[in-house]
Amino acid sequence: MSLSFLDKSYNAFHDDQSFEEANSNTLTLYKEPGLVVPPTFNNAGFRDQSHEIAKKFAKGTTTLGFVFNKGIVIAVDSRASMGNYISSQNVKKVIEINPYLLGTMAGGAADCQFWERYLGMQCRLYELRNKRRITVSAASKLLVNIMYSYKGYGLSMGTMVAGWDHTGPNLFMVDNDGTRLKGNRFSVGSGSMFAYGVLDSGYRPDLTEEQACELGRRAIYHATHRDSMSGGIINVYLIREDGWHKISSTDMDHLHWNYVEDKKKEIADRNKL
Amino acid sequence: MSDCVIGIVGKDYVLLAADATAAFSIILMKDNEDKILKLDDNKLLAASGEAGDRVQFTEYIQKNLSLYKFRNDRALSTHGAAHFLRGELATALRKNPYQVNMLLAGYDKEIGGSLYYVDYLASMQKVPFGAHGYGSYFVWSILDKYAHLDMDLDEGIDVLNKCIAEVQKRLLLSTPRFIVKVVDKNGTREVSLDNSERAKIQQDKMDA
Amino acid sequence: MSILEYNGGAVVAMLGKNCVAVASDLRYGIKNTTVGCQMRKAYPIHQKCLLGMAGLATDVQTFLEKMKFRVNMYKLREDRDIKPSSFGNMVSSALYENRFGPMFLEPVIAGLEGDDNTPFISSTDLIGAQCFTDNFVVVGTASEALYGMCESLWKPEMEPEDLFEVISQCLMASVDRDCNSGWGGIVYILTPDKLITKELKGRQD
Repeated sequence: MSLSFLDKSYNAFHDDQSFEEANSNTLTLYKEPGLVVPPTFNNAGFRDQSHEIAKKFAKGTTTLGFVFNKGIVIAVDSRASMGNYISSQNVKKVIEINPYLLGTMAGGAADCQFWERYLGMQCRLYELRNKRRITVSAASKLLVNIMYSYKGYGLSMGTMVAGWDHTGPNLFMVDNDGTRLKGNRFSVGSGSMFAYGVLDSGYRPDLTEEQACELGRRAIYHATHRDSMSGGIINVYLIREDGWHKISSTDMDHLHWNYVEDKKKEIADRNKL
Repeated sequence: MSDCVIGIVGKDYVLLAADATAAFSIILMKDNEDKILKLDDNKLLAASGEAGDRVQFTEYIQKNLSLYKFRNDRALSTHGAAHFLRGELATALRKNPYQVNMLLAGYDKEIGGSLYYVDYLASMQKVPFGAHGYGSYFVWSILDKYAHLDMDLDEGIDVLNKCIAEVQKRLLLSTPRFIVKVVDKNGTREVSLDNSERAKIQQDKMDA
Repeated sequence: MSILEYNGGAVVAMLGKNCVAVASDLRYGIKNTTVGCQMRKAYPIHQKCLLGMAGLATDVQTFLEKMKFRVNMYKLREDRDIKPSSFGNMVSSALYENRFGPMFLEPVIAGLEGDDNTPFISSTDLIGAQCFTDNFVVVGTASEALYGMCESLWKPEMEPEDLFEVISQCLMASVDRDCNSGWGGIVYILTPDKLITKELKGRQD
């Protein structure tokens, strides 16, 4: 094997621009939290490889969030995979940005963890500067602006930002190509289609808090059952006016056998009538 | 992949649904294409896939099953037909493969209703319910949650309605119409998804 | 993704004291979507021989039918059941028939041989290169984890009860580290006088 990637980066550096130019370029490409951005775009050999490696760390995931009359439910699975290998069944995919704001993780674990922590910091700074809490809309806009400024750099994130502010419950979906959608029902990740099936067929705005949490849990459960890249524990959060509350953390396997039993009972009861 | 077929086994029947769109390039050529072929008096075959392959292969199976019946004075069981179908598809796979995914539904007196899931690679599995195409991703979870082997026909159609509503809501590709057929001890027939006129067969064909 | 991983699945065979065992998961999937959880990947060939296969489901099914046919023809001609080691050769040459357009599957063969029921296990690659061992063989998408589990749990001269315990623990622990296998399992234990079949309840994700 030749070291062609070395040649490529060498050529790119010296053919296109002078060292000084490349260096000044470095300065303009520094992003907010002091990340080192490669000096040129053309160090193709290394960039392609690191992109492939980063992709291996991308997790299959199912996350969902929906707004109903009493608040917002956020439910997520907990599997992390590298290719087909399950690297963890206990990942926290809900990031607690502050007591009123939650973020969810889908895509690259490092990207989500880092940028949502950074978002938490920016939200806190906003509070200190302005003496009031940031709106969900503004927080998600901060995140999407970062996403957009890094567009094409290979970030991988599909996230929901949810919370309660002075306008009431708010839910946004933000992803790495700079999409930011306000809505009241989202599911993100490799298992999202499965989750949508259950979510759409069971959703009503007038669900009780218990019903809403169960719907979120059930939708994630079905996704973990059918999507091999999702699984593990199902975490459910409820956001009310007083902030978020962690409702439950249940192993999907326990849920499965309970649901199987429930269905059996239901059929048996019906046949008795 | 843009077409969607769904199958559900219920109490003494099997339901099949297939979207009725025939697409060419970005054009909707037809909105009443029947993708559920009647193989014999108690077998239905729903197929999705490339248009030419779909019709050629399913009709080939249909004709060979009737040839078998003619020669042996005895029809194949659903299980037998499923294995015949799989064998033919598997043989073709290494020569001139058919791009066609299928659900074979049948009713046998001794066994009751059964449903076989066959993909274009000719792997086969007996299932309580199944679906093919992009739409299938949206319906698996609905089937898991609502379907069971003890459903009467009305319940089965209710579940099917949930599935179709979800596909029509979430799938980017339009599937405005579905054709639904059932196979049970009385043979095969088309049924309406509409609760009020379920008995009435849909007549609104686009053209003759 | 390799075509061998298209449907997912894991199979392991182990050798005990006068007994052998084959275990497989039950998942039938298409890439990352689980379609069914009733697909056994190990099959009794006759009273004293088991065949397990992992790989592309269509080829597994086609190949199983081919081998059933050949084993039946063998029995008609020879008026006796085929020896597991001979069956291994039969599988190997059947796979090599497709040397230039292979069947995408990896088989394991386990059985008891001769009057003294000598346990036998072997596996081949997808074009029939045989591999004989005197402990265990693993194939499928969870094979890396299976190697690790088998290396640490397997010990020589296990009785059928212990063999069942060890092979079950190996399978269940391994498929829990693999996305595309699991959803329950099945274990066949072959002893000189009977074939025991047990279903394992496994995680459903």
